[in-house]
Amino acid sequence: MARILVIEDDLDTAAEIADCLIASGFDAEQCFDGQTGLERATGETFDAITLDRMLPGRDGLDVVRTLREQGSEIPVLMVSALSDVDDRVTGLRAGGDDYLVKPFAPAELVARLEVLLRRHRAPAKPELMLQVADLKLDLVAREAVRENRRIELLPMEFKLLEFLMRNAGQTLSRRMIFEQVWEYYFDPGTNLIDVHVGKLRRKIDFPGARPLFRTERGVGYILDAT
Amino acid sequence: MQLSELWRTTTFRLTLVYGLVFAVGVVALLGMVYLQSAVYLTRRVDGILNTEADALAASPPAQLRERINTDLLLNGPHTNVFALFSARGVLVTGNLPTLPTALTPDGKPLEILPTHTFPAHARLIARRLPTGEELVVGRDVNQLREMRAIVAYALVWSGVFILIVGLASGTALSIRPIRRLRTLQAAGRDIAAGNLTRRMPISERNDELDLFAGTVNTMMGEIERLMAEVKGSTETIAHDLRTPLTRARAQLHRLQHAEAPDRDEIARVTAEIDEVLERFRALMRISELEARSRRAGFAATDLAQVLAQVVDLYQPLAEDGGVTLTLAADRPSVVEADAKLLFEAVSNLVDNAIKFTGDGGLVQVWLEDDGGAPKIVVQDNGPGIPSDERVTVLQRFYRGERDRLSPGSGLGLTIVSAIVRLHGFTLTLADADPGLRAEIACGP
Repeated sequence: MARILVIEDDLDTAAEIADCLIASGFDAEQCFDGQTGLERATGETFDAITLDRMLPGRDGLDVVRTLREQGSEIPVLMVSALSDVDDRVTGLRAGGDDYLVKPFAPAELVARLEVLLRRHRAPAKPELMLQVADLKLDLVAREAVRENRRIELLPMEFKLLEFLMRNAGQTLSRRMIFEQVWEYYFDPGTNLIDVHVGKLRRKIDFPGARPLFRTERGVGYILDAT
Repeated sequence: MQLSELWRTTTFRLTLVYGLVFAVGVVALLGMVYLQSAVYLTRRVDGILNTEADALAASPPAQLRERINTDLLLNGPHTNVFALFSARGVLVTGNLPTLPTALTPDGKPLEILPTHTFPAHARLIARRLPTGEELVVGRDVNQLREMRAIVAYALVWSGVFILIVGLASGTALSIRPIRRLRTLQAAGRDIAAGNLTRRMPISERNDELDLFAGTVNTMMGEIERLMAEVKGSTETIAHDLRTPLTRARAQLHRLQHAEAPDRDEIARVTAEIDEVLERFRALMRISELEARSRRAGFAATDLAQVLAQVVDLYQPLAEDGGVTLTLAADRPSVVEADAKLLFEAVSNLVDNAIKFTGDGGLVQVWLEDDGGAPKIVVQDNGPGIPSDERVTVLQRFYRGERDRLSPGSGLGLTIVSAIVRLHGFTLTLADADPGLRAEIACGP
């Protein structure tokens, strides 16, 4: 069971994050200021940290910077009310692995954490071919094949499918998809991502094929073999 | 008014410096006049003395005493000196009792002080006669001395006068600027105390103080506008957030007193609060955009490419909603911009257009040339925005009437407006009859 350290100064938010992590099968520990957070992170064993950016005493940027200086490679998910690109860049540059803007749905945080944990355990290898069940994506020829049928993909659809397949089995939120595939960090609003995923889904899960796409209500999507 | 305050004014110092320079000039001029005239007059006296001495020396020795007495008689004993001394220096005749020791018989003039026989300053020259006697000729030079005194007097007093006048006019000239500074100061203090409608007084002279006051006033205008905007937006935010929060509170209250919790009701309250959070997020985004240092992420950006990406992103959404989305931007058009922010702005416009046009609608995106600078146009054939709302809809944190009925933060246009302002571009909303036509003029 993965053990997560939740460093968050707001007691209710911390409790909510912890509850949500526990409900998703994690073991969650809470602490409420930067100094204690840093001490626990270095003194105990955790698999990942969620770190609020603005903390009393020692702020989040300082904590993650110190951790990295000490050589720790533990995945850190920065959580902040500051959403500007500059703030994101600062957070990531200080050593954060991902950056989540408040307010967020707890499920979004869990989804991001899971992606970080998996990436940490099995770093992405340079691959020529991705495969999920009978769906194959040739990264060199840039084409998708399923049940011996070639599936025509537009450039963005290809990028989207690649992201979904690389993270097969993981819940991916709409915001994660928008950030990773389109590389924009603003709120695209309405159901923009749903429409893109829906279009791709109709191409991949064509009638007669076993459905690979699953919708995770209120969070996002999973591409899965089961 | 204190002396130190007076001394610190530029006008006073300048006047004083000019006064000093002028005084030095006048003193130098008068000094020249003094020197020239004194030398001239002295030479003239010496000339006369020499002529007289020559004339006397040329007369036969036997008649010399006679002539000296005659000359004394004719000229009077108090204006001229005529005297003859024996070789041993004893007075033979004339109105000079003793031969001054400093007087040498080589023609070099000597000035002596008044004596009881000659009660005036006199200038003397002496001649050695062939007989061994010494002839002394002299002249009253009081006039010459008085003339010198007058010039010297004028010199000193005019210097003093100029300095006094300089000081006085410096003070007088400085009083006005000091008074004006005082009024500017008073206005400044008033503004600092919170009266943002107060302006710096401007005279009609158009001088440097006016220029400065004008700049300050422009600044104050901008500050007042911003303050009004902040106040307005605070009220808008308060109003905007109060409505969904009040609704959520009422629902929670109902749930509290309900027999059994209604899951649907709880979901509705959660949705209500999510909407508030969503709006907060948009508000944060606007604040961030406005606080951003200008031109931080600016680079040469091809607008045609940005538009193509936006249309690419929204095409499926448009298709899904039965809206036709077209793009006409084939030629590259490069401007200095933050590509990501511009993408966000155009995305918001296109998103709005698709959302409000609805099934069967048409959203057109194109790039046109607007007097040398490119212009991005997003036009739909939906219901548009009433003309009286078009200006206010761009204001900070304003939510249009139509936004209240639709999902999302409803602050999309405000975000667009903030991004456009950050770039120094211009956003205009016009009537497409029917529909809304949003234009971003990408020129200074």
